[in-house]
This record gives sequence, C-alpha cells and structure tokens, in this order.
Amino acid sequence: MEDHPGPDTYQDIEQKKLNTTTVAFSPEQVHHAIEHAIHYLPSQGPIAVFVHHNTLHAFEHLPFELAVIEGWKKYGAEPYLSEDRYRQEFLRGRIAQQDIEQVLTMDLAHRADEPIVLGTTRYELRLAMLMHPIRNGPDEELRWFIAETNALRAFRDDVSPSLESKIIRSVQQWMEQNSQAVPASATTAPTALSGAEQWKSWTLEWLHRVCITGASVVGEVLNDAIPVRRHRDIVLGSHGIDCDVRVNEQLIRFLGSATDQGFAQWGLPDRDRPLFKLFQELYGIGSVFQPNWLKELSDLIAQDRAADRSSIESIIHSLKSLGLREYGLDDFIDSTLLSLPGWTGMIWQLETNAEWTPRPFRSGSLEDYLAIRLLLDRASLRSALGQIAELESQPSVQQGSLSMERLSQDLQFHQRRNVRQTVDQRAFILFQVAQLLGWSPNELESLSTPQWQSLMDEISACGTMERRRLLHLAYERHYRIEALDAIASQPPPPPPPPPPPPPPPPPLPGPGPASTNSESQPSESQRPISFQVITCIDDREESFRRVLEEIDPSIETFGAAGFFSVPMYFRSSSDAHYIPLCPVVIKPKHFVDEIGQLSKQELQKRQAEARRVLGHASHRLHMGSRSLAAGTLTSLLGSLASLPMVARVLAPRLTSRIRELVAQVVKPNQATLLLIERIWPETKADAGPAESVAPEAKLNQGFSLEEMANMVQRLLGDLGLHRFARLVYIFGHGSSSLNNPHESAYNCGACGGGRGGPNARAFAMMANDYRVRKILEARGLVIPESTWFVGGYHNTCTDSVEFFDIDRLAPSCHMDFLRAQAVIDQARERNASERCRRFTSASLGLKPTEALRHVEARGEDLAQARPEYNHATNAVCFVGRRLRTRGLFMDRRSFLTSYDPTTDGPGSEILTRILQAVIPVCAGISLEYYFSTVDNAIYGCGSKLPHNITSLLGVMEGAASDLRTGLSQQMVEIHEPMRILFVIESTPKAVLEILARNPVLDRFVSNRWVQLATLAPDSNRIEVYQDGGFVDYQPTSISIRVFTDSYACYHHQRDHLSFARLGVQ
Amino acid sequence: MVSVMNCLAAIVLGCPILTLLILGFTGLVQRPLPERLVDRLTKFHVAMGLVATLGILGIMIGTNHPMEVLDLGNFVEIGQEHFHFHLEFIFDRLSVPMVLMTFVLVGVIGSFANVYLQGDAGYYRFFVCFSIFLVGLLFAFLAGTIETLFLGWELVGLSSALLIAYFHERKSPVENGLRVWGIYRVADAAFLMAALMMHHWTDQGEFLRMVNDQPWPQGASHLDPWASLWVGLLLLIAAAGKSGLIPFSGWLPRAMEGPTPSSAVFYGALSIHLGAYLLLRLAPIFADSLVIRVLMFALGALTAIYAAMTSRVQTDIKSALAFSSVCQVGIIVMEIALGFWYLALVHIIGHAFLRSLQLLRAPTLLRDYRTLENAIGGRLANGQPAWISQMANHRQIQWYRFALERGYMDSMIDQALLEPFRKLFKAFERMENDWLRWLDGPSWPRRKDP
Repeated sequence: MEDHPGPDTYQDIEQKKLNTTTVAFSPEQVHHAIEHAIHYLPSQGPIAVFVHHNTLHAFEHLPFELAVIEGWKKYGAEPYLSEDRYRQEFLRGRIAQQDIEQVLTMDLAHRADEPIVLGTTRYELRLAMLMHPIRNGPDEELRWFIAETNALRAFRDDVSPSLESKIIRSVQQWMEQNSQAVPASATTAPTALSGAEQWKSWTLEWLHRVCITGASVVGEVLNDAIPVRRHRDIVLGSHGIDCDVRVNEQLIRFLGSATDQGFAQWGLPDRDRPLFKLFQELYGIGSVFQPNWLKELSDLIAQDRAADRSSIESIIHSLKSLGLREYGLDDFIDSTLLSLPGWTGMIWQLETNAEWTPRPFRSGSLEDYLAIRLLLDRASLRSALGQIAELESQPSVQQGSLSMERLSQDLQFHQRRNVRQTVDQRAFILFQVAQLLGWSPNELESLSTPQWQSLMDEISACGTMERRRLLHLAYERHYRIEALDAIASQPPPPPPPPPPPPPPPPPLPGPGPASTNSESQPSESQRPISFQVITCIDDREESFRRVLEEIDPSIETFGAAGFFSVPMYFRSSSDAHYIPLCPVVIKPKHFVDEIGQLSKQELQKRQAEARRVLGHASHRLHMGSRSLAAGTLTSLLGSLASLPMVARVLAPRLTSRIRELVAQVVKPNQATLLLIERIWPETKADAGPAESVAPEAKLNQGFSLEEMANMVQRLLGDLGLHRFARLVYIFGHGSSSLNNPHESAYNCGACGGGRGGPNARAFAMMANDYRVRKILEARGLVIPESTWFVGGYHNTCTDSVEFFDIDRLAPSCHMDFLRAQAVIDQARERNASERCRRFTSASLGLKPTEALRHVEARGEDLAQARPEYNHATNAVCFVGRRLRTRGLFMDRRSFLTSYDPTTDGPGSEILTRILQAVIPVCAGISLEYYFSTVDNAIYGCGSKLPHNITSLLGVMEGAASDLRTGLSQQMVEIHEPMRILFVIESTPKAVLEILARNPVLDRFVSNRWVQLATLAPDSNRIEVYQDGGFVDYQPTSISIRVFTDSYACYHHQRDHLSFARLGVQ
Repeated sequence: MVSVMNCLAAIVLGCPILTLLILGFTGLVQRPLPERLVDRLTKFHVAMGLVATLGILGIMIGTNHPMEVLDLGNFVEIGQEHFHFHLEFIFDRLSVPMVLMTFVLVGVIGSFANVYLQGDAGYYRFFVCFSIFLVGLLFAFLAGTIETLFLGWELVGLSSALLIAYFHERKSPVENGLRVWGIYRVADAAFLMAALMMHHWTDQGEFLRMVNDQPWPQGASHLDPWASLWVGLLLLIAAAGKSGLIPFSGWLPRAMEGPTPSSAVFYGALSIHLGAYLLLRLAPIFADSLVIRVLMFALGALTAIYAAMTSRVQTDIKSALAFSSVCQVGIIVMEIALGFWYLALVHIIGHAFLRSLQLLRAPTLLRDYRTLENAIGGRLANGQPAWISQMANHRQIQWYRFALERGYMDSMIDQALLEPFRKLFKAFERMENDWLRWLDGPSWPRRKDP
C-alpha cells in the first residue's frame, strides 16, 4: 500500500520546497514517469479483436485485496460490490451467517479473541459490524438524521429487546448508585417513576454524548477518500469549474481524427506526421470565433514553436510552468494520462500492439499526446483563472488567490494530505456499535483515553472497505463450499488398473508400447461409445456437453482450449485478410487458406467478382448517402428503406432467411478445402499458386506432416483421449449477432476473439490424414482405421452446428453420422432451452423446439442488446477427467478442461502445459467479468444502449466521451462477481511443483487472483490452497439436490441454480 | 361519409392520446404497467392510428376530396382581447403522408425499443416520452391553426430534451439535453412571436382562413408584404432552431446521447424535419415574398454546404449521420424556397426512412465494414473528394480545422447569445449583493470562497 506521510502544514511544504528547489525535470525523469503511467492504462486494443484480460493487470504483482484498493485509489473505481448489495445477498440467503462467521474466524486467526473494551472481543466487535448495516455520511447528513429521525429516541431496529433492556437496566442501576453524579444533560434525568420511553431516549442521548466525548479525545482517523492530484481537482473543488470538460471535448475530436482507421471521408491532412506536429499545425491557427481558451492555446503553441521545442521539451516546459516538483510527479503524470484512459490506452495500443490495423501509430505517440494534453490543460487553467478573477466581485481582494503559483502550492499540500473522519462521523459509528453490542453509557464513560483510542482504532480498522472485503469473502465462500461439496459428492473414481498406465510415449519416433488401451480392464474399455465430442473448455459448452451425455449416456465428451493446438493465421475463401486464430500470447507461424475445390474454382471466381462489384456499389451507396448530391438522390428514394427496416424489426428471423436466400447468388462457395499442408518446398516459394496466397503467407503456407503429427499428438495427450469411437466430433465455437460492436468478445477466447471453426476443421483434417496417423503410430499412438474425425462449428448464440468436409466421410460411416446428427440436433434444442431460462424476453414455458427458434431470432435481431450472455456467471474451472464431474448440473458456470492424471508423467508435463494456458485465460475472463460487474461505469463500458462506434476502433457513450473499455452492463447484469475457483484433479504436491516452476501461474495463485483446490485422482479428497500450501477440505453436508435430468432441474427457474445430481430416477 | 371521416380522425388523434394518458397516469401513481403490457398498448394504438390514417387516405382518394377538417372548437377564448386558442386539425395532401410516415416510423421504432431497452431502468420513462412525442408530432403535423401547431411543437421539444437526457445518471447527456432545450427555447420564442404577430395582423391563427380556405398547396395569403416579411423572418428562425439549420446545427450531434432508437427516430428522422414542415405548411403564405424565399434559399444552401463539409470529418458514426441529416434538411429547405413543394415532401419522407434505418443499424458498422472489405478484397478507400486533395496544404488544414470545430457554431452561440445573458445576470447578482450589504449595514458578512 502507498505510504501516507503524516499531515503536512503549509510550513512543512515551504520547508520541503527549500529542499527540492530543482523544478526543471530531465527527459529521463519524464520518460520514467510515462513508463510508470503506461502500466495503468487499459490494455484493450481495437474492438474488432476483443480479448478478455484482467482489468487490473497492472496490479497483478500485488495480492488481490490490496490491488483492488489500489485500483480504487488510481481510477476511483469500486473494489467490491456495495455493502448494501452484499446485505441483500445475505437477506436472500446467498450469503449465510455461517459464511460470515467462518470468514471472520479465518481472517482474524489468533487475533480473534483479543479483548477490546468492556469484555468484547475483536471477533464480536467485527461480527456485529458485519452483520448489521452501519450508517455513515457527511456531517450534515448525520446531523439531519439525528435531528429528524428518532435515532436518539429509539434503539436501532436490529437491536434485540433483551439487549435494549440490558442497557437501560444498567443505566438505571448506575443512577441509583450515583444519584448525585448524574451527567449534565439538556433534559432532566428520568426518575424511577418515568416511563420506559423516557428512559430509552434519555439513555440514548447520554450514549450519544458519551460517544462524542470519546470520539473527540482520540487522534485522527483516516477516511476512505481519494486524494487530490491535479490542478484541475483544486479548481473544481474551490470554484466548481471543471477545466477538463473543454479539454476533453477538444481532445476527443482531435484523437478521433488522429486515430481514425478509415471511417471519415475527409481524413486529417498529412496524418503520417508525428502527433505533436499535427496538433501544432491544426491548433496553431487562430480564428475569430474560437473561444477564449483556444486563443490561449494558440499562444502556447506559438511559444513552443518559437522555442522550437520537441514534445519532450514541451512536456518539461509545461511541468515547470505548472510548478510541479519531484514529489508527486508520477502521480501527476498518471492522473493526467488517466483523465481520458480509454483514448490514451488506445494510443499506446496503436503505437505498440496493433501492427495489423490499417493505420497504426509511430513510436513516441504517447509522449506526443502527453505534451498535447499538458498544453491544453495549461490553456484551460489559464482561461479558468482569468474567468475566476473576472467573476469575483472584489477583484482586488481575490486576485492572487488562485494564481498558478498558489495552485501548485495547494497541489503539493493536497498530495501529501489525507482526508480524515470528523468527530461527528466517528461518534455516530461508535453510537451504533455500542447499541449493537449492548454497551451502556455509564460503562463507556469509565473508559480511559488509551482505551478509547484502541476502541476507535478497532472500529476504523473495520471501515466500509474492510467490511466489504469480508462480506465478499463470505460471498465467495458460499459458492465455493457448494461447488466443492458437489464435486465431493460425485461417485469416487474407479480404482486404477493394476498395471499402472504407461507414461505418455516420448515424442521421438521409436517403438513405443503398442497401444494405450488397456485390456486389463474389460468393463471400462469394452463399454461401447456411440461417438465422442471434443469442444472448447468454454463455460457455454458445459450445458451442450451435459445434454449430449444425457441424451445418449454412451457419448463421451472432452474439453480443450478451443484453438485445438492449431495456432494459425487463417483466411477464408471470402475474406480479404488473414486473422490469427490462437490465444493472444502465441504468435502463429503458419498461414492457412481456404480455397475452392478444384471443380468449383470457376464458379468461385465468378462469385468473388460479383461480390466485389456489389461491395463497391454498396460502399459507394454507404458513403454517398452521407454526402450532399448523392445523398439527395438516395434520400429521395429513401422510402424504399422502409421495407427492409419494417421487415427486419418486426420479423428478424424471417427476414434473415429471405436475405440468405437472395445472398445464395454471391455467397461464398461451400465446397472448399483448407490448404493446411505445405505443398511446395520453401526454396521454391515463388512457384506457389500465387493468386490465392498473399505474399507474406508464401513462406509459411501450411504445416509439414511432422508438425501436424505433433499437434495431433499433443491435443490427444492433453485430453487423455486414447480409446476412440468410430466418429470423433471436434467443435470450434463462435458467435454471431447484429448491432453488436462487441461481437468479437462473444467468440472463442482461445482463438484470440476469432471463431474456432477453422481450427476444428484443420485438426480433423490432420487427424484423418493417413500419413499423420502413420507418424503417430510410429510414436506409439494408434488411431484405429475405422475412426474418423469430423470438424464442426458451434454457434453459441444461435445454437447452430455446422459440419465440415463430411463429403469425405467413408460410406460405411454414413449411418453413424446421421444417427449422431440427430442426437446433436436434439442437444441443440435442449441447450437452447436451458439458455432461454436466462432471457427475460423468452417466456419460461418454452418448449425446446421453440427455444431453438427463439435463440435463432436473437442472433438476427437488430434490436437485441443481449444476443447471448457470453461468459456471464462463470465461476469454476475444472481440470480433470470428465467422469469426475459427469452427471453434475453446473448451470453453465464451469469451464471444463479435460486432463487425465493417470496418463500424465511424474513431472506432470501435460498438466503444466494445460495450466499454462488455462489459468491465464480463465482468470482473465473471470477477472474482467469481476471488475466490469463491481464497477460497470469505470471498469466496464456502461450501458450498451447509447454506444457509438468511433474511428472504427471502439465505442463512446453518446455523442462524445472517452473510449469505453471493458464489458457492458447488458453483458454482466446476471454475473456474480467472484474470483474463479480452479479445481484440479491432481495432487497438491504436483500442483505446488508446477507453481514453483511457473512464476506467472504462481502470481495468480499466491496473490489470490484465483482460488485453487485439488481433487485427488484416486479418491474424493479435496484440498484447498491457502497461503502457499494446501489444507484438507471437509465437505459440510452431502445433501445435493437430485433430478432426473437437466430440464427438470432448471425448468421454470430464472435465477442462478445451485449444483444438482442428474440422471437419478 | 363525413361522420366516418370524423370517427377516423378521432381515432388517429385519440389513440396516441389515450396511450399517453394511460402510461402517464399509471406512472404518476407509481403503478407502472409491466413491460409486456406497455409494448402491447403502444403497438395496438399505433396500429389503430395507422389503419385509421389509411382509411382517411382511402376516403380522400375515393371521394376526390383533397382536404378534411376536424374542428374541436376553441380551447380558450378571451373575448375582449380578441384571442382564442382554436383547436383545429386538417387532413390534407401534406399532413396525411406525414402522419402515415410518423405512424410507420414510430411503430417500428417502438417495437425496436421494446426489445432494445428491455429490462433497462428507464424503460417506462422512455415509453412515456415516446407517447408524448407521438402526440406532439401528430398535433404538429395535423394542426390547422398556428396555436395547435405550437402545442405540438412544444410537446415534441419537451419529450426530445427529456429523451436526450435519458441517461440522467451521467453528466453529459443532461448537459447536452439542456443545451438542446435552450436552443429549442430560442426557436419557440421566435415561433410564439410570429404567432402573436399573425394574430395581430389577421385576427386569427387558422391557416385555412389565411389562404382563403384553399387546400394545400393552393391559395395565397393576403398578408401585407411587411407583415409577411416579419412573420416570415421569425418563422425562419424558429425553423432553423428546430431543424438544426445554421447557426443552430450544433445541437443535432449532441442529441445522440440517448439510446440508439430514440436518436434514430427522434432526431435523425422526425424532429429534425419539423422546421422544414413548418416552412412547407406555411409556404403558400410566403409564396409571394421574394425576400423571404431568397433568405430561405440562402439559409438552406449554406446549411447544406456547411453540413456536407462537417459530416466528412466526423469519425463517429452517429455524428456523421447527424450532420448528413442536417445537410439533407438544408437541401429540403432550398427546395421549399424554390417552390418544389411536392419534391420537398417526398424528400422529407424518403430521408426520414433512410436515416432511421441507418441509425438503427449504426452499431453494426464494424461488421458492415468487414463484410465490404471482404467483398472488395482489400481496405476500403475513404472516398475523399478530389477538390479537397487539390487544395493547398495550409488551406486544407484551415478548412479541416473549421470542419472539425463544426464551424465554431457552438462557440459563436455561446459568445453571442449566452455570454451577454450571463454577464447581465452576474451584474444583477452583484447589484443585489451590494444592495443587501447597504441595507444590512457594515456587518453583512461577505460571501467567502471555500
């Protein structure tokens, strides 16, 4: 945590000023400060490629609880849900009293039973403050509350009558014993004959007085408030003028133009020059009409130009004239850059991380931006100072009250100051706590000053942030217990086969064990499998897998990161550019094209030509409708637009069907194939089929057979898949929706926000290739000849499933395929039905077929702000064999990663590489959802309804705002913000070893950004990670709900559902 | 036939009013209807209104009757002041197409918003404003007297400002809503003055009396040239304010703060044409005044050129569409000035539909661009016109800055209109303070700055 120096007076400041008189910063200092600030910028790139990541990635080196508080200080964003919200959750049973008690016991550990005052222990004090809402507010509000409500006439509602009478009795007894020492009071003391009401109010008034006395004898107490950092904050506080408003308005326009990726018809002239120069050119010119402060700006620019300052020199000059000193420089630069975090972050992204965009930025742009920002700030401040002087009624007196010099002094003062709680605030909290704990005023009066001090310290140590932290822990605990109990209640795993399974065959070709299927276990290995399905680990596929297994119990399902170990740049036959299909941490080295089949290439060429002509025409129409002359023409014919508009809004599904029919003419040819194989040697790169391949792709077009075999072997090893059905389906996933700038956020995270269909298709092609199988066979991995892999694509929004290359299926498999297809179709309907329970616009009684139609319409509806709920509600990630979770209703809240601990080697190589991918990805998703939910306005991007796409890079709210990053309110509205719980089927020892070897993973775990538990591979024993080790988990109550199938479990329910066991009659 | 006509006319006006009353009343007594019911109610009433309007159209065509009048008598009558507030509605060749368009657009947007805003905290508020807007629009389009037109005009203004500030938990929607409201007030003031002048000169506000009971677009006014010039000038200011013509154009992009459907229908398609409609309705009255027509043409032309330029530099889809709308309205005003009234009518209706569709689809922009790029097989050219690239560099930068600052229109209004007001009131405040201090003697505590 930041170090807070003690309270400073102006004298102290003057003293320090003498010590640090150097005000000219060196370029290195400034560079260093910028470096410092960069970490805090949001790292979301252009919105067309949306990748989930931890919103507070800059704070990952800190423990979670500290990081969220740092985030609150830095961005002003909420660290947890509100206290009220947790209390609501408590009232509806989502948090149990036991959760709070347990969390508190754990948190306080040995400090729990230390007495504070009057025989109350720390545990009791905190529990009272957690269980009951503590009212607090500004002094005025409290004074009003005391005067206007019966706060001093009646006890709080949640104080039990027995406690109430205990306090009053104690007062009465004391009065009897000390009748002469009755405390001075405004009202006359009640006598034995007085009524109960009088006693009550007299007691409370006395109590309140005592609390005020107590609160005023102790030292100051920190308040939860955000310090002042910039000149603007001071002017805003003292005169209510926000200098940032006009600066931001200008900057948003300027940055919109400067970053524009090709939307505006008239781009910024000479856009390729450095940002700072562009700005000087554009804003250096004066104009009669421009407002005052922009005239100041052109003066400042003229000065800079006259002195021929570069951007860094300009920054140094600006800092000097703003009177900045070394202390607080970092803070100042951070908050200056964070006053428009979205745009600033985008500049940095365009500068460093967006070489694939049409117009990336040159390096040094962020520095240029800072120079620009400071010039604008100075101009705005100067103009505001003039304005203030003018507005003051007595200029002679007020002049100089807000000079630049004075401002910078004020700033330094504030930067070192902490906001403190007032006596009234402290007293009122104390007053409430005393009632809750049954302290009577006479007892309190006997406290000595040190006792008051320690009481006050205790109470302020359990301030609102601390209470929210503890309540949040209780909130997480409740779900964790449910999840672990559910897993523990699963049937225990089958005993390991007598001869331990052979370790995974070495990657080198050689005579390995003939086959991995163990004949020693006939019951297991001879159980027929109808077909196998491999999907992404995505939480949205949990229900899809579950219903497949429900429909036909002999189906096996597996989960692997949705790029299926095939990292590639992919370009479909109708696409203009390559897109990377793999996690963002991997840079693919191979390019894969989709091309038309030989017999259809002529047709494809014709269609491409038609598409091109139509594309040019509609682009011209698009542009033309916004211009003068062509716009007139188009609007005269505009009534024609009423037809598609009415149709699309009133009947979205029908309209899309008709559109599809019409589009058949130019629709990209379905008869395509993937060029996954490297068909020409690298030396003869130029001789390749030049037309279909982009130049950058020529070198690494496709994979070699060896590479393919490696990828297939790796994925099958990860999955623990060694017994093959006749058909093995592998489904990539993605999502399509209309009017949704965040569309790519709904796609597969493991494909870098792309659609995973091509990866599944490529994998199936590789695994089917007999040459690849031959290589694998040599390495000891035998795929039976009768097994065929079918690639597919699951659209998680419309629940449609598409199969690739089924024409190549052997005729003997046709019947199997058709049977499987019928099962999959049924699963789609059931999956849609389960999803529909979450959508308020779908009535609860929808039949599965209707549900499928409903989700299909959602994807095609222009008006639909929630095409699907994406990862919302995600809470768990299970890494292990499916049989450990099979038959468990997990409510689409769990990532399911397949991993077979019985086939992993002693060094846990497989688990290591799985966790290396799964922990960062799932933690990123979970944390992005966490932060976007707890503060949707700052960490998230607010409501989707007023979003406005700008510069083809991101969204603003309404007419002009900062570029909004994070997730929208409509995406997270049903989310329960919790850190994801990893349950790994392995031993604590193996997991600890992996963590020790992988600092990146260890950081997530030991800093508590994720929760971690292990499930023993041979029993139902669960151990939970805690402070660097694992502790045994004792299931609380094994009374899991039981249902015949998923439908019975979720039927007619909208809310979150707890775990349930399925398949029991 | 007449009674059928009156019935239909009553349905056209009555249904939306009924919706407003039901929604408004249930909202007032804190018993908002459930979303599903709001949806059904709005849809039913809009459909009824649409069918009734089609019926009126059918009868008008069938009986070859170019005009029907629904007279509801005087709302207020002050005998000795010679003032009456006369409620009269005209169904004619101008208003019926506009009303048809209104019902179709509002109906479509209503069902769009029902899905789009589902579950939003402001759902109910939206639909209340929505029905105020619909009633206002119908009053304005069907108005037979200038008072009725003003009533509708005010309702539209009020609901527009409230819808701009729909997200009232954030600052900028409220500020922009206030700004738009301010500009509407300027337009309203001009309108009111024009209406009073008309009453003063002609003793009445009925459009029909002014044009000798001829159906639109026939007839000519019998105002004297000076009166016609003054009234015309004031109405031109009113129309400029409401339709975002120069120098008031800055409000339209600011109106894009609300949820997408309200921006689409209200500012992109309907509100924005209200000024043009006013000019079109009164066009026969000013047909003879060359000065007015020349001024109108100049205003339209300047607006069109200005907006065409400004829309080209916009980098966000909604502002770009807003300025393109202003550009088209400028052209529509030119058409009215030139006397192509039917063309202007077709232009208004076509433009409204086109813009609505474009605004509703605005969030699909990224996907549309990708589709187009894929179809074309490369990056899209942004279509910068040749005359821009041919300009000298410093000229280019100057004009670009001009367009980027939206022609400094807003800061001009601030300096020319707001600043004098602010100074005046500050002076009053100072006077009041001095006065109080003097009254109170020397002990009056001076206001201290925090």
